[in-house]
Amino acid sequence: MDKRLAALGMLGVGFFVAGSIILGVVGGNWLDSKLNSEPLWLIVGLLLGIVVAFYGVYAMLRPFLKDKQDKGNS
Amino acid sequence: MGCSFPVLIVIIIIVLAVGVVSLLSGALGKAIVGDVGLPDIFTVDAPHVQLPAEEIGHIGPITITNTLIASWITIVVLVALAWAVTHRIKLIPSRLQSLLEFAIEWLLNLCTDVAGEKYGRRFFPIITTIFLFVIMNSWLSLVPGFGSITYTVAEHGEEHVMPLLRGANTDINFTLALSIVSFIFVCYFGIRYSRLLFFKQFFNGGRFIRGHGLLFRGKVKAGFGSIGFGIIDMFVGFLELISFFIRLVSFAFRLFGNMLGGEILILMMLFLMPYLLAVPFYGLELLVGAIQALIFGGLTLVFVTMAVTLHEHEEAH
Repeated sequence: MDKRLAALGMLGVGFFVAGSIILGVVGGNWLDSKLNSEPLWLIVGLLLGIVVAFYGVYAMLRPFLKDKQDKGNS
Repeated sequence: MGCSFPVLIVIIIIVLAVGVVSLLSGALGKAIVGDVGLPDIFTVDAPHVQLPAEEIGHIGPITITNTLIASWITIVVLVALAWAVTHRIKLIPSRLQSLLEFAIEWLLNLCTDVAGEKYGRRFFPIITTIFLFVIMNSWLSLVPGFGSITYTVAEHGEEHVMPLLRGANTDINFTLALSIVSFIFVCYFGIRYSRLLFFKQFFNGGRFIRGHGLLFRGKVKAGFGSIGFGIIDMFVGFLELISFFIRLVSFAFRLFGNMLGGEILILMMLFLMPYLLAVPFYGLELLVGAIQALIFGGLTLVFVTMAVTLHEHEEAH
């Protein structure tokens, strides 16, 4: 498949970052309301969401980064 | 230019007159020079922006909204176009026929370029339907008079005036439905051609379980290494799963946001400076409609191609 078309998939990156952080926060908030442990799980969920978001973006970008490095070395 | 001098003068005068009237009748001009008391037909009311679609009526339990009517009109237009061209296909095509032939050929080439000969023709019908439907929706809502037809509903003694038609892309229900269609399409072809690999990209616990097996057989170092990589595998699969479902939301909100934003932009420009300022934004909206249709169709095509060619990625590793 054309690399430029694969790059089209990057259009969803913003939604991925926002979505994974929101999922973490909402999930943490829900756990807090169930377990009555106020800010603990909210903070854990937020941090988890941020980690997932950043690692996910890195994983999505990796194919393109690798390609560039190969070209630079040769 | 082929214009003679008097014609040119007349055109310049008309444009200037329209410019002056549009400046004086809009909100922008009123703020600068004050109200000069133009007749009512020249002035434009402040736009009333409503996020959910307006309800026109009910058929049984089903609510009919103005966006629904607009999408029916889109269907009718598309079917009529297809019928008008295909009921008497000529070897030497008429203008309309060659236009549609060009569009269909271009889309078919796009599909086969991205997905390859084998899958391209299979994906072509749905990708083309999505593309044509979205582009026709957004272009039909730019036809002059589309939003001007109003409909009055008496409710609790009050009269609500609402447009009878509103571009279907500006309704979140419609874009969500369309993105669910594309989601199911990706899932169906992914499961059909990649079988278990389609699920394995989300739940990849193979190395994790094999690591435990190695530990029991006494290969401690290899076992722990395998378990470690297995945890990373599962984390990556989890990421894939999240991004797979967020795609659904991103498809729906991208189309909805762009189309509603365009609609509101044109309404605001009409309010600020009628007649003249809205014209360039009409051109912009034509472009945005085409690009959003291309993005929706193209992204569906890219994702379905990724889903059916999973085994190729597996072999490449």
